[in-house]
Amino acid sequence: MTHRIGSIIFKALVPALITGLALCGCKTKEEDGTAASEGLVTVGFSQIGAESDWRIASSDSMQTSLSTTYGYNLIYDDGQQKQENQLLAMREFIDQSVDYIILDPITETGWDATLREAYDEGIPVIIIDRRVDTLDDSVYTVWAGSDFLLEGRRACRWLKEYLEHISFDDDVNIIHISGTTGSSAQIGRTKALKSAAKKFGWNILMSEDGDFVQAKGREIMEKALEEYGDKINVVYCENDSEAIGAIEAIEQSGRRVGSDIKSGEIMILSFDATRQGLLLTLNGKISVNTECNPEYGPVCVDIIGKLKNASRVEHEIYMEESQFSAIEDITEVEIDGEIYPVTMVDRELIDSRNY
Amino acid sequence: MKKLKINGNTLLLLITIALFVVMYAGGMAAYGAKGFSRLQTFLDILKTNAGLICMASGLTVVMLTAGIDISVGALVAMDCMILACGMEAGIGAVPMMIIVIVIGLIFGAVQGFLVGYLEIQPFIVTMAGMFFARGMTAVISTDQKSITEQINPLFYKLANIKIKLPFGGYVNRKGVYMAPNISVGVVIALLVLVLIFLMLRYTKFGRSLYAIGGSEQSAAMMGLNVKFTKMKAYILSSLLTSIGAICFCLNTMAASVQQALGYEMDAISSAVIGGTLLTGGVGNVIGTFFGVLINGTISAIVKTNGKLASSWPSILTAALLFLFIVIQSIFAAIREKQKG
Amino acid sequence: MAKEKTFFDKLKAWPLLLPVVALILVMAVNIIYDAANGNNPFSFFTITLQNTTANGTVLYGRIIDILNRGSEAAILAIGMTLVVSSSAGTDISVGSVMSLAASVCCVTLAGYGVSSTTELAHPLALGLLAGVAVGCLCGAFNGFLVAHLKIQPMVATLILFTAARSIGLLVCNDLIVYVRNPQFGFFGSFMGPIPTPIIITAICVAVTALVLSKTALGTYIQSVGINAKASRIAGLNSKTIIFMTYLLCGLFAGIAGIINGSRITSADSNNIGLYMELDAILAVALGGNSLGGGKFNLAGSIIGAYTIQAITTTLYALGVSSAQAPVYKAVIVIIIVAIQAPPVKAYFRKRSAAKAALAKEV
Repeated sequence: MTHRIGSIIFKALVPALITGLALCGCKTKEEDGTAASEGLVTVGFSQIGAESDWRIASSDSMQTSLSTTYGYNLIYDDGQQKQENQLLAMREFIDQSVDYIILDPITETGWDATLREAYDEGIPVIIIDRRVDTLDDSVYTVWAGSDFLLEGRRACRWLKEYLEHISFDDDVNIIHISGTTGSSAQIGRTKALKSAAKKFGWNILMSEDGDFVQAKGREIMEKALEEYGDKINVVYCENDSEAIGAIEAIEQSGRRVGSDIKSGEIMILSFDATRQGLLLTLNGKISVNTECNPEYGPVCVDIIGKLKNASRVEHEIYMEESQFSAIEDITEVEIDGEIYPVTMVDRELIDSRNY
Repeated sequence: MKKLKINGNTLLLLITIALFVVMYAGGMAAYGAKGFSRLQTFLDILKTNAGLICMASGLTVVMLTAGIDISVGALVAMDCMILACGMEAGIGAVPMMIIVIVIGLIFGAVQGFLVGYLEIQPFIVTMAGMFFARGMTAVISTDQKSITEQINPLFYKLANIKIKLPFGGYVNRKGVYMAPNISVGVVIALLVLVLIFLMLRYTKFGRSLYAIGGSEQSAAMMGLNVKFTKMKAYILSSLLTSIGAICFCLNTMAASVQQALGYEMDAISSAVIGGTLLTGGVGNVIGTFFGVLINGTISAIVKTNGKLASSWPSILTAALLFLFIVIQSIFAAIREKQKG
Repeated sequence: MAKEKTFFDKLKAWPLLLPVVALILVMAVNIIYDAANGNNPFSFFTITLQNTTANGTVLYGRIIDILNRGSEAAILAIGMTLVVSSSAGTDISVGSVMSLAASVCCVTLAGYGVSSTTELAHPLALGLLAGVAVGCLCGAFNGFLVAHLKIQPMVATLILFTAARSIGLLVCNDLIVYVRNPQFGFFGSFMGPIPTPIIITAICVAVTALVLSKTALGTYIQSVGINAKASRIAGLNSKTIIFMTYLLCGLFAGIAGIINGSRITSADSNNIGLYMELDAILAVALGGNSLGGGKFNLAGSIIGAYTIQAITTTLYALGVSSAQAPVYKAVIVIIIVAIQAPPVKAYFRKRSAAKAALAKEV
């Protein structure tokens, strides 16, 4: 009997050992983190997650720009798509009195209390990408992000110019694969499409939430092809992941993707301009790809520099963004009197970009 | 024989508490300079996990009867969505909170009936409950809902109340004394914890939960109404989950279909780490409370470090689960040996 | 009259009654829906050949779609059936294990830290082997806990349910690893005109069925499930049998994970296999298997898996969004298990006995 119990205890030792090792492994890594933080500017960054190429590019940019080589100690936290995690991360940043906090909020609300705590602590907060809805805007120092409405308008304007250029007279039938409902990007890009469709008489056959992911983009496109088939000539995807999914679905069904919509090809409009998206733009599968700049690192460095010198910082900063296409006929689009150039993609340009 | 059983269980609880103390002390030793030794850091763990404390307490009650409730995470999402949409439609905060609690009662009653009276496996019933609640959230709205000051001033005010404690503060960089504070959610959670602790210890219902978990047959022979007691356990679980959902919503002020995804597993692992046996009959909400704190401390340490991959908390939680489950099975084996 | 009755009795005793009835019901809904919309009422069943730019001529149609998309659930259902039968418990880790297997496979193929590649860093076979091996390892871990440490199956598999997905993320360096390579994409696309997942599923089912029928393994598993102690006395090592069912379950989870990863040519650790454990368990229950262990019916589980997929596809066709579909699934699950619940069965038996008695009196 004692033998049996002995063997059970032995069996228990194995997991205990594994657990111990796991905890030790964690410990040693922790020590690396604290060793060299003297004299550095400590920045806490709460990121939403790692759900898309774009998001990863944004985290990479931040980690490169705010590295120890440039005098920063970046405390990076991946919220794994959960607001609770981001809230806890914010509080931990405040508790350890970091010098600056950067937040990319997954939701617009729920930040009042924590932002107020940061404000009371005297920690400047930089909100990036998505916006926050607070009672009092002064609790955060600055918001930096994209003008999503402008992005959408640039894409629609491009389509309008292109249709005129090829003198396309048939009905323009659009499948609209939108982003996560309620996100700032979705709101801006959708609004632009809706008003352009109204203005130019385009038909939006179907408008569904693709959640910014490839699998959903594909699913929606399959559904659309089953329902509308040959009628479809334009697909408006609100990011590259959705576009990749839609292209897969179209090619699987026997239709072709491309800009020659007169001969039955389906044209794809996309946003973000990630590496994969630009490669598809280069081979003509995406007709126009409007950039959503994820390079927040340099922008944040700039803002922090200004705050350090106590110079004035705008409360809202828009990112500089371009628009890419492989169709040479349209070189610029005009919106409200402002001229925006369209950049031609080539291999060199794609290789020169960081993401 | 009986003495050993109690010793074993107390030992489990002691291991849990000791683990928490060691872990937190480790955090303080490593990150004391980074604010880990402040009282506020500990209170922040409580603030973030207030909802989880309520849910895990409810789950402990169900687990005592050898059952399980995996619908809790989805129910939180549904409750939050109802709260947000109701308030958006102009209904007051208090009526909405009452509605959510009533919904919790009904939800629990249906699940409890299916488990208690139709004798369907709890896992299957609550899995269906989870599907239902998560899907229903999407039926109500697939949008990301926000609760702002304009939508409901009272709820907003509740969320932003800071209850200051008279001790343990510190002077911040502006030279201002910062008193440590907790939120309304923490107060609710601690209240729930104390009430459930007292209920389990001193009421007939509490004791019959342990009896059913120990052995359903002998509980029935003792004249306990096994079916109804089980049903009540599930009602209590869903009720506490709904209260937890209110705490959760006070923390996040938002609602979406994806909210509280996987929260049921956080709650279950907290209860198991806290010494509740999934085979029923053994467990205590105090242990569960420390289980939640251990999980919270792990993620606080990982977040304070800032260099560790975000997947570490769940891997470490799983490792702890592994450890505790194996320790439990050893105790079970020893107990069986003593019997035989 | 008497003849009819025996036919009914036979039908009632037919183990595949429940899954087949469910499947017929789903098809009926489709026919009615198509007819009501003025489409060809049998468009559900039409299979056509279609030319695609990516894959050449392929089969196309709703049935093919269901068979294709139901592949992962069907493969998981094989392993789950065996686990349920031998240990009277469920393996809730299969979805997470799927994700881990896909992650390991993709990382092996792309190289550590690479987020997107079109070139393979290692031979394809090595990646597949790594994925399947990780699945087996997870299965062995679960099997060890359940068979040797006598831990409740749900509790034991809860560990990997929590950890496997996160380990996958760690392996992927917190990235979504894209392996945009046709060689890897093959397992999620087409072999000739037929979707590859369908062929892989067919092979898995055929091999399992053959092994179960040609060897005594099937009988062993069932007898262990019916009474673990008794079969030990009869000379069977119940521990080894239970361990083996979990190992197989892990193996199948690994295969399903690779198919899913290949479908989207990436390892999206957070989403692969999400909720798949529930579909697999549901397939087993729908297949007429008792979740209390013992006798099992593999064919039922497979039909169950495809029925679930058919329900999902039908719901989408009816315009229900993917986020709302779980509501209907939940109602269906409850109805199915409630019919099988002992108190309900006992109630109906009593009623029909009372009726029979009444008929006799008259």
